[in-house]
Amino acid sequence: MDDYLVGVLSNIGVVSFVALSAYLLLLTGAISFGQQAFFAIGAYAAGVATALWGWPLAAALALGAAVSAAAAAAVGLPTLRLHGLYFAVATLAFAEMVRLLFELARYQVEIDGELVGPNGADGFRGIRYIFEHDLGPLQFLALIYGLLAAVLIGFMLMERSRLGVALRMVGEDEVLASLNGIAVARLKILAAGLAGALAGLGGGLYAHLTTYVEPRMFDVMLGVHSLAYGLIGGLGTAFGPLVGVLIDIGLLESIRPLAGYRMIVFGGLVALLLIARPRGLLDEAAVHWLQRAWRPRRRP
Amino acid sequence: MIHATRELAVVAAVAALLASGEAVAQQIRAKAEVTCRPAPDVLEYDCTVTLTNARTRAPLPGVELTIGADMPSMPGAHSVAPVKTAPGAAPGTYQGRLALEMHGDWALSLNLAGPLRDRVVKVLRFEPDSVGEPAARTAPGRRPRH
Repeated sequence: MDDYLVGVLSNIGVVSFVALSAYLLLLTGAISFGQQAFFAIGAYAAGVATALWGWPLAAALALGAAVSAAAAAAVGLPTLRLHGLYFAVATLAFAEMVRLLFELARYQVEIDGELVGPNGADGFRGIRYIFEHDLGPLQFLALIYGLLAAVLIGFMLMERSRLGVALRMVGEDEVLASLNGIAVARLKILAAGLAGALAGLGGGLYAHLTTYVEPRMFDVMLGVHSLAYGLIGGLGTAFGPLVGVLIDIGLLESIRPLAGYRMIVFGGLVALLLIARPRGLLDEAAVHWLQRAWRPRRRP
Repeated sequence: MIHATRELAVVAAVAALLASGEAVAQQIRAKAEVTCRPAPDVLEYDCTVTLTNARTRAPLPGVELTIGADMPSMPGAHSVAPVKTAPGAAPGTYQGRLALEMHGDWALSLNLAGPLRDRVVKVLRFEPDSVGEPAARTAPGRRPRH
């Protein structure tokens, strides 16, 4: 497979994690413009763990996910009472605060005569784990999609469980969910933590894929895109955000000949799509129809 | 049962990949210096890359070097497909022409293949008539223009 294609597929896979992170919060009715912060925290934490501390990749990715989950739960707690626009603005403010903190953060160690580690606005380069350990692009692609498959299986199991039903109930009506005995606050913090972990895992993979991260990569644009993936792809299933990522990155690549006008064309197409299907491509009705079509018909 | 076996196979494959990362260690780290200047066509730049061994400072000839580019402020949204470079006159130097989509800060991804696999990232600011340090370094706190 062409290296460039592998790179594009890897990007699609990694960005899917942050898309699923925003989707999980959307299920509970929370619109977050700040999932890029947890993506950044995961990227920096996992990068530091392998590049500076010599940790194995699995432990580094776990660290990135854990730190991001803790940060997300910590943000979830004080924003419990916020809804709609207020919650969105709060998450955006937190994300910008994290980005600015990374612009100030410096922690470098000399390796082979060169300083490696986060260096403020200059970024963090030299996350060379995949090269030092001879992991090829295809192997790393398999790792990304293996983890993504595991996450999707988790989502499918969750959506069929009481937890999934409870999350959607909270998303529909918090008061009604509470009256039905659902511990809304606990569930929302759990969802925030899990969403943070997902974004952090994606961030860790991203840092090792690109070998370089800098604060500018994690600005509001990534947050808006990650939210848009669920809205474009649809909120009926966890595959919706993945469809959104495929449309975004896949479409951008397919209209590459239009060069500088690609974003304008893409924006127009997304606008048309959302006019035609306001709840995204794979909305609840579409998922229901697909399930009925897929299910084997019983004989009378 | 079949689904469970598949799920286990995926988990086992991922675990094997994560574990395999511990086995091999590549010792050579590449260091790169990049200089670019505007080419005759708009948004095209001729770049010269000098590759050395980071530890010994010896030139690194015979490397298959490609240069990709991505805008740090819009990762993935504006990326340039990697271009192959040709060896320059001096050992360890490589030359390639980049066609960018717009002016501004670009992170050049120098991908080394062949006898040495590595990636070095350099961030440069591409203006219509010059190439230099990115805005984030020259003026702290100032947002780059696009």
